[in-house]
Amino acid sequence: MVLLIGCDNSSLVIDRLCDEAVKEDTVVMCFYFDFAARNEQSPVNMLGSLLRQLVSGQENIPEAVVQSFLERKRGIGGRGLQVSGVLEMFQTIAATKRTFICVDALDECVPAHRIVVLESLRQVLRGSPNTRLFVTGRPQVRSEVEKRFGGATTFISIQPTENGVVRYLRDKLRNDTTPEIMSSTLEAEIMKNIPGMNSETYAELGAREKLP
Amino acid sequence: MSQNFSDNCNSINIANSFNYTPSNDESKILAWLSPLEPWVRHRDIGAQRVDGIGAWLLETREFRRWRNVSSEDESNHATLFCDGNPGVGKSYIM
Repeated sequence: MVLLIGCDNSSLVIDRLCDEAVKEDTVVMCFYFDFAARNEQSPVNMLGSLLRQLVSGQENIPEAVVQSFLERKRGIGGRGLQVSGVLEMFQTIAATKRTFICVDALDECVPAHRIVVLESLRQVLRGSPNTRLFVTGRPQVRSEVEKRFGGATTFISIQPTENGVVRYLRDKLRNDTTPEIMSSTLEAEIMKNIPGMNSETYAELGAREKLP
Repeated sequence: MSQNFSDNCNSINIANSFNYTPSNDESKILAWLSPLEPWVRHRDIGAQRVDGIGAWLLETREFRRWRNVSSEDESNHATLFCDGNPGVGKSYIM
């Protein structure tokens, strides 16, 4: 059951995991690292965000979380939330469930935070054997992941497929905002040139970033 | 609101239960856990996705094995790392 991120056919991996989540006692959580938000995306906020999604997937807010909240409210140790506290609560709740954690753009997490985040996720995986971790990132953070999780990691290289590029272009051309310039001849010409497509054309057609 | 929640609240601090408003406290607790709202980005990305692109990933042996692995063989494939250069669409496969 997922309450926050929603399973609305708007994503790939998360949607597939949600199909299963409806049937079982499963929670799917996600986090998107963004370099522009690096100050807010501290380890405690990032891990707290996962915990928040885990908690929101429950019928009731688990006792461990309520207790910590009330203790803090009464000023016991009143320094707010810390990574260790978040992990403790997370483990208590996740231990009996099947959970999927999906993390996007690990490379956009600043190095000092990344160490803490990876180590924390490693502890989560160790403490809750039914937790699975899905991570995306640029190739340069691969070695860090390898080092931290060792042999427990499977790697897949993401590359654009020709089919994907064609679908993408068709969609962009269909929704072209300057129909007076776009003609069927031009469209055909563009499609014809896909295999040898250069990055400029791709960028002009509205891709977010250039092809590698 | 949950029975657990109220019970717990009473057991911890009786004074709190007098001005205790469940739904209000629930949202306070959630906000306390983290101010970040990753589902906003999730929805933004979803709105820009072109359906079907990247679906090959779901059919790979690696993905299936990762998703279906049982706790007995957790030591093997608990983590799936998808790496790719900028712009290949990593965020869109998640």
